[in-house]
Amino acid sequence: MKLKADRATLLKALAHIQSVAEKRNTIPILANVLINVADGRLTLTATDMEIAVVEEIGAETARNGAVTAPAAVLHEIVRKLPDGVAVELDHAGGDAPLALRAGRYTTSLNVLDVDDFPSMTAGSLPNHFTVPASVLRGLIDRTRFAISTEETRYYLNGIYLHVAPGEAGPMLRAVATDGHRLARVETEVPSGAEEMPGVIVPRKTIAELRKLLDEGAEDVVVGLSDTRIQFSVGPVTLTSKLIDGTFPEYDRVIPRGNDRVLRVGKKDFSDAVARVAAISQERSRPVKLSIGHNLLTLSAVSPDQGTAKEELDENHVTYDAEPMEIGFQARYLNDITDQIDRDVEFLFSDSSAPTIVRDVASPSALYVLMPMRV
Amino acid sequence: MVGTTPRDGQEPVGHDEARRAFEEALSAGRLHHAWLLTGPEGIGKASFAFWMARVLLKATAPDSTAARRIAAGSHADLLYIARGMDEKRQRMRAEIVADDVRPIGQFLHRTAAEDGWRVVIVDGADFMNRSAANAILKILEEPPPRAILILTCAAPGRLLPTIRSRCRTLRLEPLLPAQMQAVLARVAADVPPEDIARVAPLAHGSPGRALALLAGDGAALGALVARVLETPPDAGAMYEIAESVLKRENGFPVFFDLLCDAISKHARALALGDGRGEGNADGSLSAHRMAELWRRLTDLRVETERFNLDKQQALLSGLTLVSGR
Repeated sequence: MKLKADRATLLKALAHIQSVAEKRNTIPILANVLINVADGRLTLTATDMEIAVVEEIGAETARNGAVTAPAAVLHEIVRKLPDGVAVELDHAGGDAPLALRAGRYTTSLNVLDVDDFPSMTAGSLPNHFTVPASVLRGLIDRTRFAISTEETRYYLNGIYLHVAPGEAGPMLRAVATDGHRLARVETEVPSGAEEMPGVIVPRKTIAELRKLLDEGAEDVVVGLSDTRIQFSVGPVTLTSKLIDGTFPEYDRVIPRGNDRVLRVGKKDFSDAVARVAAISQERSRPVKLSIGHNLLTLSAVSPDQGTAKEELDENHVTYDAEPMEIGFQARYLNDITDQIDRDVEFLFSDSSAPTIVRDVASPSALYVLMPMRV
Repeated sequence: MVGTTPRDGQEPVGHDEARRAFEEALSAGRLHHAWLLTGPEGIGKASFAFWMARVLLKATAPDSTAARRIAAGSHADLLYIARGMDEKRQRMRAEIVADDVRPIGQFLHRTAAEDGWRVVIVDGADFMNRSAANAILKILEEPPPRAILILTCAAPGRLLPTIRSRCRTLRLEPLLPAQMQAVLARVAADVPPEDIARVAPLAHGSPGRALALLAGDGAALGALVARVLETPPDAGAMYEIAESVLKRENGFPVFFDLLCDAISKHARALALGDGRGEGNADGSLSAHRMAELWRRLTDLRVETERFNLDKQQALLSGLTLVSGR
């Protein structure tokens, strides 16, 4: 294997690779990056055996071949090389070390056998579809806050991606819940996704994917089977295992008959919640909403610190149903309002029943929040 | 000096019955989700577990890439758990702790990377502490589909009965002399044959024990045994000896092997030759008494291992027996 690549290009790819390669070094080869030149194309691969990242980069390739070398060391070296320099990699094959030359700098790195490198990309992915990166970003950003971190409910440790019958025909849905709140965001079913199996994409995969979505690619090609999912974002391909479990029937927790409608400006509301909750020392920071005709009073009580109260009047609030009181965790309220652009709509049933929260401007997203006793 | 490890793609030698049981279950499509491999230390339980994994992951051809990845520990559908290394003390930790087994839950809650089985091997399940054992039990109670757990265990008495009862047990029997020869020729290829011939009978059909006897530990423990037989140790020396035996990996069985072997040689020499069974003036060295000592030591060892008794106490009792001959 022999190639010459631009330092900046190589560095950017190695930075992606680095974040997946295993740092805790129990299995040495997982700390390595696979450098492969085939048919004049250079690809770098790293994996932690749950997620694999493959990145193709532009390079002058002189000889085909593959080798694995320590990802962290390589990244560190390339990072410290001066900008604009060309990096030459040369590997004679077998156990021979990998030679790196850049300007007057040379190094030779120990390598591990390519055959020992985990394979995550073998096998076929029967379902393929393309989604705009902005749509995928929207699906992720508006649901990921609700992903559960509880290991015992592993089937909630990811985003459930599936096709469901919506009010106006089938929709591609992303759903996440931790049992206290639920986020459901939908979009039109991309062509090719109609038959896709419902899959739960692990939290870590979501985090890695989300980083890639900010790098300017317009479209993302998604491939999946019922055991693996693959996202191709520009030159990077991310392949991941899925969560092996059954996502609960979330539709049953979405209330149908909530008819008390409260509308409030997002900024007014979330700022007021933060101010009022500041008094509370409890982890859950309960905030009470007392709602009357076009009037919302937020209040919090702390046995040690005192009380706090803020009123939002008819300039900020519209409400036209029976007066009521209901309590929520401040953080849960703000996690949801963070996803909303301008106006929030609450749909209540009563003070102990799940509440629906929506973005007035964007009906594709729906949030369900469990109240708490205050 | 050890040539190959359990991970490497070798067919198991011996253990035909266990092998048949597993293959029958596999071909009948009735594979139990958890298997417990029992048998003495060093007999090849881990090798057998890796062989099962290779069969399940379709990696039986030693040169296949899947077999290569299993050997390198980089097969995404195989998880191997064993006692961790204590970096400070440069030896294996005494227990498998909850942190060691935590990856199992995560691993089994992910889909397979290569569309087949997912295999977990817990090597030395008897070393699991209580919280690790409870974590394993939880997995055994709700086994995920297409997943197999293989536990290896030298002292099943130390496992929770609730774990034992959820596993299908395969007992691995000591190897026959010819099988021992075959295994040792492979794993200790660079050892002179006369050394192998010397330790093979002491190893009771366990290649791992033969290797321990060949390695540095064998020599050091041999020196201890010679010292014990030469000058019967006093109480202080006994503690010191027990400690230096137990701090070694496998020290207990190897020490007892060497001690019993030395005593049986002694007894035989007395019975056949100079002593003629009459004993010295004080009657302390009759062949009969030596044979009796050998029997009691053997019993002590078997009981200790079977019922998981305190090894230090067993060593002290053994040394007291020897001193009191």
